[in-house]
Amino acid sequence: MDFILLLAPILLPLIGSLCIASPKIMPEKWVKPAVAIMVFTNLGLVTAANLYAGGEFLHLFRVNQFIDIFLKLDQFGRLFSYMASVLWVIASFYSFEYMKHEGRERRFFTFYIMTLSMIIGLSYSGNLLTLYFFYELITLTTFPLVIHLNTEVALQIGRKYITYSFVGAAFVMIGMVLLYSATGSTKFYGGGIDGLLNYPNEQLLLFSYLSMFIGFGVKAAVVPLHAWLPASMIAPTPVSALLHAVAVVKSGIFALTRITYYIYGSEVVKAVHADQILIPFAILSIVMGSLIAMSQYHLKRRLAYSTIAQLGYITLGILMLNPYALLGALLHMINHAVIKINLFFGVGAITYMTEKKYVRQIGGLGKKMPMTFICFSIAAISLIGIPPTNGFVSKWFLGLGALKSGNIGYAMILLFGALLTASYLLPIIVMAFFTNSKDKVTVDDVQLDPPKMMMIPIFILTGMTVLLGLYPNPVIEFIQVIVTEVF
Amino acid sequence: MHYQLLPLLSILILMFHAFTLPLYKRKKMVYRNNLIVAAMVFIMSAVSLYFVAQNGSYVFDIGHYYQPIGIAFRIGSIEALIAVLFSFVYGSIIWHSTTNLAHEISESKISTYYTLSTLLLASLLGIVYTYDIFTGFVFLEVNTLASCGLIAIKDTKESIKATLKYMILSSLSSGLVLLGIAFLYAITGHLSIPFIHEQLVIQASSHQNLVLISIILFTFGVAIKAALFPLHVWLPDAYTSAPTTTSAILSSIVNKAPIFFLIKIFYMVYGFKIIQASHILPVLLTMGAIAMIMGSLFARTQKELKRMIAYSSVAQMGYIFLGIGLGNALGLTMAIYQIFAHSLTKSTLFLTVGAIIEKTGFKTIEDIKGIGKKMPITLAIFTLCGLSMVGIPVLPGFINKWNLAIASIQMGKLGLLIIILASSLLNATYYFPIIINGYFGESKLDATVFDTKSKNVRELAPLFVLAFAIFIVGLFSGTLIELIQKDFFTLK
Repeated sequence: MDFILLLAPILLPLIGSLCIASPKIMPEKWVKPAVAIMVFTNLGLVTAANLYAGGEFLHLFRVNQFIDIFLKLDQFGRLFSYMASVLWVIASFYSFEYMKHEGRERRFFTFYIMTLSMIIGLSYSGNLLTLYFFYELITLTTFPLVIHLNTEVALQIGRKYITYSFVGAAFVMIGMVLLYSATGSTKFYGGGIDGLLNYPNEQLLLFSYLSMFIGFGVKAAVVPLHAWLPASMIAPTPVSALLHAVAVVKSGIFALTRITYYIYGSEVVKAVHADQILIPFAILSIVMGSLIAMSQYHLKRRLAYSTIAQLGYITLGILMLNPYALLGALLHMINHAVIKINLFFGVGAITYMTEKKYVRQIGGLGKKMPMTFICFSIAAISLIGIPPTNGFVSKWFLGLGALKSGNIGYAMILLFGALLTASYLLPIIVMAFFTNSKDKVTVDDVQLDPPKMMMIPIFILTGMTVLLGLYPNPVIEFIQVIVTEVF
Repeated sequence: MHYQLLPLLSILILMFHAFTLPLYKRKKMVYRNNLIVAAMVFIMSAVSLYFVAQNGSYVFDIGHYYQPIGIAFRIGSIEALIAVLFSFVYGSIIWHSTTNLAHEISESKISTYYTLSTLLLASLLGIVYTYDIFTGFVFLEVNTLASCGLIAIKDTKESIKATLKYMILSSLSSGLVLLGIAFLYAITGHLSIPFIHEQLVIQASSHQNLVLISIILFTFGVAIKAALFPLHVWLPDAYTSAPTTTSAILSSIVNKAPIFFLIKIFYMVYGFKIIQASHILPVLLTMGAIAMIMGSLFARTQKELKRMIAYSSVAQMGYIFLGIGLGNALGLTMAIYQIFAHSLTKSTLFLTVGAIIEKTGFKTIEDIKGIGKKMPITLAIFTLCGLSMVGIPVLPGFINKWNLAIASIQMGKLGLLIIILASSLLNATYYFPIIINGYFGESKLDATVFDTKSKNVRELAPLFVLAFAIFIVGLFSGTLIELIQKDFFTLK
């Protein structure tokens, strides 16, 4: 029974996506309804699995002690699979409208749904090898989405993306082999694999941890491994929003958390001083990401660099190795997902309605697209970390974690980061609301807010931003279970 | 019936079939009987494997002349497994050839072609089973001659040139092996493997240099035939100019048999101690590592599709030598596992590529952009093989790389990890562009109309069977490795 419960949300989207791919099985007009049904069914299946499946190891097949693909449900997997499947539903409706403008919808939705399957597989993975397997597949299934435009430039960027990812995967592989030679197991245990703390060869542990961190750090866009992320902004907006702000980069974060807390355990990471080596890179991500974001005038690229900075917060939270920081990091993983999708959707709406892509072009648009920009502003405020929004909550816990770790510098970095966030997001809002349009031709009272199909997802996300800020306790309690499990 | 008879019987059937083939009047009979014989050999090998797995290895004396005078076969689980693999791959390729061979060579030569290919399989099985080195040498010669015929059969300028190149180098290789045999005979006075081994254990210390020379002769003799990196020069020309069927047979099974022969010589004739003392293993390790990198680097620069895959073969053979060179149980096991993985993957690659070239008429990588829209299933099978080469988990390529990495760590050679991974990344750099451009590239083929419907299923069926086998070898690698190791420990 458990077997079916866990496999269903992985297999259903996979089979569904293959059906969508074929014009014979799925006529053109059925594609969108099918996608809608699939994402909702999947949400239902994920809910069912998360509620009713037990926590046993479910072997898909087992070759030997190591090559052993299996699924296991735990609280962290629940969190990640919920996050993905909820956001997938919201993004689907936005894409229905938006993708009219980009074309090749069948291909888009095929890989869009296929990626969902891989993400759920990733969250239910029971050991590192299974996780690696899905991690590689995520690269492959998102690749066609990145090169959606099919131009020479897009293909070039696709190559960049795939090169970064595979080189990263190779590093993961090195780390995994070394780890396996040390432990003989890559299963996830809350708090780390037993006996690793007393393992004599510290150098080997450090090296394997760093190697895996570099590998997964590619997807988590840790500076200096981030270059693929801004380049990938050539993809359609729903892809940038869902994949390059949520699914793909968060799969990197997910994997980093898994290796830090479920393989090595915080004690071991501390003992080999890996955190001290890596925290500078997390800080670098925050500062560099924010500073570069300020200098970007292409809206989507600015958001992409902002993503790098925010992922830096999460990585820092993971590496500070205390319960508050981890709580903050995981909360921010969820909250940033909700906020960043919202921001991207806003930008997408602007591009969809007006073909405008740069900060300087959007002067006065606030009056024509009031709803879009109000939602955008709420999301921006939340990302800066102003109450009563959800961004504030996660940054609060990150700050507590920083103080707890005994290093006041980390807390300063967090504050400085918030300042920088304000300095690259607020100009957009100011530009939209308080300057006048340079286009004298357009009539002022024309309403340019996008169609309902795009507007409603934005409203829902804005609502979530505020709600999660006002009533954060259910999510915090949910995450608290994870935190107590690993510490 | 005694199951011990099966290996000999399968070789005899093949020999008999090879020489009666030219007598058939109707082409249909040629195709049909050929397939029947291939299937029979496959079934016989499978049955033989079943019994060997149950009852353990045995030595079979042919014609009741006992060793050291008579000829003998030794069939253990590795030999039986490899025989199953060879007959399976051969059968699938021959099955596929019924649909396309007639397009590539003239009608009148088809019987000759099959005669040669049947002889080839017989000789390969002989090499695998043999328990004395001279019989091994004879089968190696038969194998060389038959392969020459298969390459030259197109009768074009390039194929004749490639054949000459192959023949000269192969003769050199046979010469080296023969010299090696002569040295061993001089030391021990025997040709039969167990008797040589017995004598060598006693006498090796008094003939150290002679033993070393003979080891070097065998190693390099075989390395030429197996296309180890600097000795690979015959390979790209031969694979490119030959008909698709030949390329598939050559790349998958012909270059594997000599390697297995080498493993047999190393561990059955000399034994682990002498090999270890001779320091040949680090040499093989280094050359294998160089081959893994250089083969891929060469493959990247190729413009012709078939040539690229040929160079990729050079890289893949490097893995086998690396496994042997590691000199531990896991390394050797993975060398044998890679024989399985590579045979299946490479034959499938050649067949898919052959189908693409035949349908479009284009040979270069540049020209076949957008092929995925015209031949989606063929390219999907190509993709599967490519993914296996790159090392996506569960596929055989990954299992091979993983275990080689573990074996390297066991031997304390951490530097090899980087080489193994670099090689798999390099694999990605030339397989992925083809796949990506195939599915997403701007097509130049839109104008070309070609018939994809006719005989589609018949052509694809063997490919499906092979692709399925790739999955099986990956999924059930545990069982396979266990079977290999079961026999391996009796080897030592």
